[in-house]
Amino acid sequence: MNRTLDHSMDEVISEDTPIHKKRFFDLEFSILIGPLTLLVVLFTFLPLLITLFFSFLKLGDDGLMTNSFSLQSYINAFSGAYGEIFLRSFYYAVQTNILCIIIAFPVAYYITQYGGRWKAFLILMLIIPETTAVIIRIYAVKTMLGNMGVINNILMGTGLIDSPIRMLYSPFAVMFGLVYYSLPYMILPIYASLEGLNPALLEAATDMGATPIRRFFRVILPLTKGGVFAGTILVFIPALGDYLVPTFLGGSKVMMVGNLVTHKYITAGDIPGGSAFGVVLTAILILVLFIIIKKGGEDALEKVI
Amino acid sequence: MKKDNILLKVITGLVYFILWVPVLVVVIFSFNESKLGVVWKKFTFKWYRTLLDNSQLHDALFRSLAVSVVVVIFSCIIGTLGAYGFYKLQFRFKRMLRIAILVPIVLPGVVMGGSLLVYFERIVHVPLGYFSIVIAQLSWTAPLAVFIILGRMQRIDWAWEEAAQDLGASKIRTFFRITLPLLLPAIGASALVIFPWSFDDFMITYFVAGVGNATLPIYIFSQLRFGATPTINCIGTILMMISITLLLLSMALENKNKRF
Repeated sequence: MNRTLDHSMDEVISEDTPIHKKRFFDLEFSILIGPLTLLVVLFTFLPLLITLFFSFLKLGDDGLMTNSFSLQSYINAFSGAYGEIFLRSFYYAVQTNILCIIIAFPVAYYITQYGGRWKAFLILMLIIPETTAVIIRIYAVKTMLGNMGVINNILMGTGLIDSPIRMLYSPFAVMFGLVYYSLPYMILPIYASLEGLNPALLEAATDMGATPIRRFFRVILPLTKGGVFAGTILVFIPALGDYLVPTFLGGSKVMMVGNLVTHKYITAGDIPGGSAFGVVLTAILILVLFIIIKKGGEDALEKVI
Repeated sequence: MKKDNILLKVITGLVYFILWVPVLVVVIFSFNESKLGVVWKKFTFKWYRTLLDNSQLHDALFRSLAVSVVVVIFSCIIGTLGAYGFYKLQFRFKRMLRIAILVPIVLPGVVMGGSLLVYFERIVHVPLGYFSIVIAQLSWTAPLAVFIILGRMQRIDWAWEEAAQDLGASKIRTFFRITLPLLLPAIGASALVIFPWSFDDFMITYFVAGVGNATLPIYIFSQLRFGATPTINCIGTILMMISITLLLLSMALENKNKRF
């Protein structure tokens, strides 16, 4: 009796949002959701709260933390050389994100439209380098950009230049590294949302006389903004706090926030200083997530993975 | 059949070329006789032979394997339970939790690593080492597993589950006899995705590893800081091969999953 009732209710509620019977709610809920909730609370949010707390502590003259309140770490983070590095990181992250969107669209579009039976292979070719030996790959980019590297060799070989161009330890090298590392994370979600696009809409736009550019801005872009948002979540914040790219390609000349945080925590032992940067980065992340969810709704999140 | 768009083709080709050139450089120069990685001299296997008696490398490799295997197992358990909960249950803070588990995935490694380091050292007093590395990696791989498994859950035919319950199977029996087998390809796929991620994690592990507990990426990093050695190229080549194999496996699994 009970069972038939539940079933008829399930049908009414619609098939794609299965709602479970509330009978076992507590036990079932705690077994399924409990471990995950515990994990994120204990090992992500509690540490972040502690970070927030420590960021307001004062560093004593002996370099140890004292128990008194201070805003000094935040003042340091936003002024002088640190402030400059912070602004620069933000600027690089924005630039990386925009460049990735511009490059990712044609690539993702090409894979969806002309990939044919090579689609799975092309996607695989994007994923493989991202999960393997990232440090070695970034180091390989360093040797590539170096004075004796592949690029300078080709340019000199073709006679375009006489002496090698100095590319390493420049803003260009860091930007190149960030885009190089982040690009697949933008292509994949955009590809996923382009795949879900109804081709009839594109045909309709063309039949009605829309130019390719107009078609892109009026039809494709609005319908794939979920993918762009998801890509932005995966590209912007990680690029903002990146450590490996500026370490290898920027050296001591082009430092980013990631270098500062690592230096504060590990080398200098300045916990409030490192924490302040951590808090600001987390705040930026939450702000970005908030804006994206407001603008793009839940579907932006659905497409993240 | 659509005609190819030349412009798009050139852009795509160029992007793939640039993405893969550094990888090819690593692979090619791992067979190079010269110690300097810039000019090609002669084909050799000798750098691969040096891998065999490098005890520091072996320690790091085994530590990495020991970490990643445990991380994958726990990520899959927590991830499967979580994804199933997300899919089947309605609860008040569902939306919030979904956004919350994104935070450890996208927060820069320096922030996650730094906050976990301070948390372990000053608050919960977990000694830095194997255990702290596993926990730190789990904090972001388990949420990742949730998303991966959740994505594949949409394609599963859940009628089997209802059928089992209609025939009188208990909830637990249904879960182990029907749901778990249905989910197995998704769980396998997530394991194959999580493993290389965990194995390759540098940033968070670097913060919480403490002294003398180098995993493979930390070993590689410390070597590269003093300049490249051909040995590192060999490691990169081998890792690339393993990764390609794992991804091909996960694709095969996925195709099997689709056939249902």
